[in-house]
Amino acid sequence: MRVKIPLAICFLSGAIMFIQYFSRHPLAKAVYNGILDWWQIIFAFTLFVGVAAFIKSGLKSVSWSKARPSTGRKTDAPYKAISLVGLALMPILALAGGTKFGSPFLWVFDNMQAPMQSTVFSLLAFFVASASFRGFRARTIPATILLISALFVLLGRIPVADYFTESLAKATFWIQDYPSMAARRAILIGIGLGSMTTALRVILGIERTYLRGER
Amino acid sequence: MAIFDPTTLPTLVISLISIAVVLYAVISIKRGKEFTIREIPGLKAIDDAVGRATEMGTPVLFTPGWGGDIQRPTTIASMNILSSVAEKTAEYDCRLIYPTHDPVIMAVAQEVVKEGCLKAGYPDRYRADDIFYITSSQFGYAAAVDGIISRTKPASIFLLGTFEAESLIMAETGNAVGAIQIAGTDSTIQLAFFIVACDYTLIGEELFAASGYLSKNKSILSSVKAQDILKLLIALFITTALIWATIDPKSSWWKY
Amino acid sequence: MTNLKTRWIIFASLLALAVISYSITIKLKIRPSPQVQKTYDYIENLPESSAIVVSFDHEASSLPEIKPITQVILRHAFRNNIRIIGMSLFAEGTAIGYSMLTRTAGEFGKSYGQDYAFLGFKPQHISAILGMGESMRGVFPEDYLGTPIDSIPLMRHIDNYDSIAMVISIADGDRAVQWIEYAGARYNQKILAGLTAAMITTYDPYLNSGQLFSVVGGLKGAAEYEMLYGQPGSGSRGLLAQSMAHIFIIALIIIGNVIYFKGRAGKKGRG
Repeated sequence: MRVKIPLAICFLSGAIMFIQYFSRHPLAKAVYNGILDWWQIIFAFTLFVGVAAFIKSGLKSVSWSKARPSTGRKTDAPYKAISLVGLALMPILALAGGTKFGSPFLWVFDNMQAPMQSTVFSLLAFFVASASFRGFRARTIPATILLISALFVLLGRIPVADYFTESLAKATFWIQDYPSMAARRAILIGIGLGSMTTALRVILGIERTYLRGER
Repeated sequence: MAIFDPTTLPTLVISLISIAVVLYAVISIKRGKEFTIREIPGLKAIDDAVGRATEMGTPVLFTPGWGGDIQRPTTIASMNILSSVAEKTAEYDCRLIYPTHDPVIMAVAQEVVKEGCLKAGYPDRYRADDIFYITSSQFGYAAAVDGIISRTKPASIFLLGTFEAESLIMAETGNAVGAIQIAGTDSTIQLAFFIVACDYTLIGEELFAASGYLSKNKSILSSVKAQDILKLLIALFITTALIWATIDPKSSWWKY
Repeated sequence: MTNLKTRWIIFASLLALAVISYSITIKLKIRPSPQVQKTYDYIENLPESSAIVVSFDHEASSLPEIKPITQVILRHAFRNNIRIIGMSLFAEGTAIGYSMLTRTAGEFGKSYGQDYAFLGFKPQHISAILGMGESMRGVFPEDYLGTPIDSIPLMRHIDNYDSIAMVISIADGDRAVQWIEYAGARYNQKILAGLTAAMITTYDPYLNSGQLFSVVGGLKGAAEYEMLYGQPGSGSRGLLAQSMAHIFIIALIIIGNVIYFKGRAGKKGRG
């Protein structure tokens, strides 16, 4: 029963959402809208699960009890402490000062959270540079073709290209629109089919990983 | 009021063909037909990766990426691989760390890993604290995983799931600590980053075939075969439409 | 040269280049791409008082790249008296979107409720996108400030996608794909995307098939749009740093290959 009931719910939900897509009948629309509303409600509750799990793991890390060396919990403690302070501070600011334009909440968001996130995102530029230095080697003919295409695209995507020749930008768009797109479409078709069959396996109950790790 | 929406007819036809192909594959395999999947290097390397971590006394890190939630087929596919990895890490008594951005994925992963430890015969080796939720924010999650990689220096890293911009940040950090990295995602952009930075990359539907490859479950293998048949049908359709459109550029029967 | 040393040299050089590029002013020749021209022309030709939805589907991390695109599109829309309904399918995008929309509206003397409104954040983006196709007030019974939708003058005649000219998804990920796949495919809603440069190629298949109306991507896209709008902004300013970074990476690739071939020649000589 513990497995059969969730499987039955999964099958029924999947079948209903599949069938309603092809119907204009008001009943189909009503069922569809109802499921969308419940989807939102269930998701809202999962946010509580996340916050509770985060607080539990954070408090464990920063607790005064002797940490087991193998878990490395002690080294995480300062970061978890800061995270917990942030988790508590933002709702307090929102409740006390509101979230309107000019509120303390928005100030902290604009001047602390946004710059911190942008900083981590900016690491990507540095990592792209080091990965390019390491990865783009003309070891084989296909690698050389890839390398030359990369050079064309890198140059063609900046205004500097226009100072050399207009053809560089045209070559860039050609590479993006034809060979690159063809390869990407092929991979996307494969991924689309894989997604479809995985979803079908879940609906039909063949795939049960979400249930208790059963396959 | 019409029950059926005629504008969805092409979608219905294609859906029914796809379901028919999947059912044909399932029935064929039940009647004794054998299907095999070619060797997938990334999946073959799982044993070596876990073994390496055990020898070096460092943990294995597995993360499903920030881009998806549990309803996404890519996340389900990564859970299948997690199940396999969890069994092996329990068998070798190697620590498995699983940070995630979604509380539902965390809950499912905890069950998957617990089940894996049970199947391996070592339920006591399950550590719930090592499977945890970090944050739903993309770069907060990326920064946290980077921090974990830098501090714990795992010998093996599995980056399997839906990734977005955080992919290269994690992969390069893993590369910097000298970890063996097995990656797979459904994003074509991030695949390119993984191919450069990781040792093994599961491309396209190799990630979805993992379930059948690792479990050798006949029902799942049959759906992988169904994917191949559908791909063949799509290729046939594209070729026919290509030839037809070349001969008659004004034709449009193949559009919808 | 050890791996770590090489990494630090690359990182330090790139940082120095970026700082220098932002410190000097060089005006680069910018030619608008077909996609940016298409976007500009469409918004320019929208009748006054048309309503559009602008969805801030991005996080704070991509703000430096996304903000120039968002600002110039909002300014263009407000200049042409187009009414804007803001919303977000990302929790972080909510505060950013509200802040940007309010600030930009202030530049043009636009009033909240008449010329623009901000509906706020909705989790479970797929159900929100699909729900808006049936009834926007069903998905957003109140706006971000807690005002009932029906008491906002702008929203009185807005029922669903049929009431709006287009949806502009400002995204740093694949959220715009969901707009295309659900609002576009199911409800035939016109979708335009403002994207980070890294995401542009993801959307090429949708652009080619016509499922996505057009794209404004990255700092270059923002700079091109600013040129058409007639007012340079942060897009144009950042383009020099981006150009220098591209040239630096090209140089790194060439140097990397020179080192590789020299090493190979050395091994052959010894062997």
